[in-house]
Amino acid sequence: MDFYRLSAHEICRKVKSGEITARETIESSLERINSLEKGLNALITRVDERALEKADRVDRMLSAGEDPGLLAGVPVVIKDNMCVQGIRTTCASRILGDWKPPFTATVVAELEKEGAIVLGKANMDEFAMGSSTEHSAFGPCSNPWDPDRVPGGSSGGSAASVAAGYAPISLGSDTGGSIRQPAAFCGTCGLKPTYGLVSRWGLVAFASSLDQIGPFARSIEDIALTLQVISKPDPRDSTCNPSKRPDYQSVLDQSSLKEKKVGIVKEFMDYDIDPEVREALEKTIEVARSEGAEIVELSLPVMVRYGLATYYIIAPAEASSNLARYDGVRYGISSEEEDLMDMYLKIRGDGFGEEVKRRILTGTYVLSSGYYDAYYLTAQKVRQIMTSEFKEAFSRVDTIIMPTAPTPAFRKGELLDDPIQMYMADVFTLPINMAGLPGLSLNAGYSRKGLPLGVQLIGPKWGEMQLLAAASVLERSFGPSLIAGGDQ
Amino acid sequence: MAISEQEVRKVALLARLEVDEEEVRSLAHHFDSILEHFGKLNELDLDNIDPFVMDETQTPLREDRAEKWELREDALNEASHRDGDFFRVPRIVSEEG
Repeated sequence: MDFYRLSAHEICRKVKSGEITARETIESSLERINSLEKGLNALITRVDERALEKADRVDRMLSAGEDPGLLAGVPVVIKDNMCVQGIRTTCASRILGDWKPPFTATVVAELEKEGAIVLGKANMDEFAMGSSTEHSAFGPCSNPWDPDRVPGGSSGGSAASVAAGYAPISLGSDTGGSIRQPAAFCGTCGLKPTYGLVSRWGLVAFASSLDQIGPFARSIEDIALTLQVISKPDPRDSTCNPSKRPDYQSVLDQSSLKEKKVGIVKEFMDYDIDPEVREALEKTIEVARSEGAEIVELSLPVMVRYGLATYYIIAPAEASSNLARYDGVRYGISSEEEDLMDMYLKIRGDGFGEEVKRRILTGTYVLSSGYYDAYYLTAQKVRQIMTSEFKEAFSRVDTIIMPTAPTPAFRKGELLDDPIQMYMADVFTLPINMAGLPGLSLNAGYSRKGLPLGVQLIGPKWGEMQLLAAASVLERSFGPSLIAGGDQ
Repeated sequence: MAISEQEVRKVALLARLEVDEEEVRSLAHHFDSILEHFGKLNELDLDNIDPFVMDETQTPLREDRAEKWELREDALNEASHRDGDFFRVPRIVSEEG
């Protein structure tokens, strides 16, 4: 049987009941990867042997009468900017060389503690900077629905892995849309949790006031399950909220959206978006209405008009500071230069790709003496206005529905020479990071060319419960995400 | 606001990035379009806005206590030039200096 088609819930149940073994599920995933990976390039590093050993361990625990956990035997793929001890972590960059982290990220440790099995490290845009997974030192990743198109980014490999059936769940990171936009392009669910909900210890930092880890899955049920496992308090990440998390899976049987208020953003309704994305959005609003929700029109003018510019000051500024650590001294590629300055210039010049250099330079520029007030400080002020705009909006509604991206997956190479157009792919997702809110992309159907069309749901801070409840009601209408090339 | 190739070189040096002539040209072009975009922010009235106010949730602090870290050797071994318990870098202060 093709076990790769199963959800995380189903795998866990069948493995625990003895219907299938963890080894069988992993072997099925590895076969799936063997047949598709050459065309997809979704994984930078595979760890087949380690995965099979871990699977045998789960099977042994079960025969000994022990409980392997909530994700017993479930294959997972991890974005290659999260550390797993002893496994090469590259961030899709040359600069880290064959660096093997001496520790495991909290989120990965939590998954493994519950019996999940890591299959490999997913392809991504270098240091998570990009919207297409074309900016990877290991070559571009393809969209499983159309190999000539991008899977989105930066967590493109994580999204493609779930859409192609490598694994029912994967982890990505989202600084300006890097989980939600690839989820939309690949037709999966993807959740960026509230800033501070999930520990980032062991995640390679990009923009620390925006970065957040979250799950991809083909159903909201699996998103809730994964979130439950990874969202525990963690004293090693001082931005991680120490409060106890609610039971996310308890909201999934909600029957309707009665008495719920769903906001739509006036300014986005006349924004230049692809007609089929617009149709999907309108259909989603209709479903929400028919499920009993009251639709409320909101105005978020500052976010819509200034979000992109604000983000592309703040994120590169933080990145330029975070990426200063790559100097070739403690890890990564080395140089034989005899002068320290020459060594820095050479290692960083050779090690970073084009887009990363662009962002580091933009960040250095906006933070440099004489420009700091005009750019960085101004952007921080606009960020405050945007945050208040959202706060006001959520005093009136429970959830906001908007597009995830302005278009379905674009063609490879289409936006590579036009960085600003590429940045526009994140216009609907990045304001959510700046306000620290949770956002979820859900597949709402397919275009006439067969490309997935995503819609985005936004919740208030710490509003994951209402977000998942709303998403599960909508999903009942849309159906769970399909596996690309799965011959359904 | 246009940015000169010389300014790009200066910023690249501040960022410790070696850039070739072709990169300088393409970066100057990129800066021009992105700075034009940033200029939009000046349309807003931003007087009396505190740029760094954080929301209600406070960053939790832990006790400042030394802990033994078992992975010291593994971490040191990742360096390309290790010298005992040190990371080795090229000479910083010249002998004449």
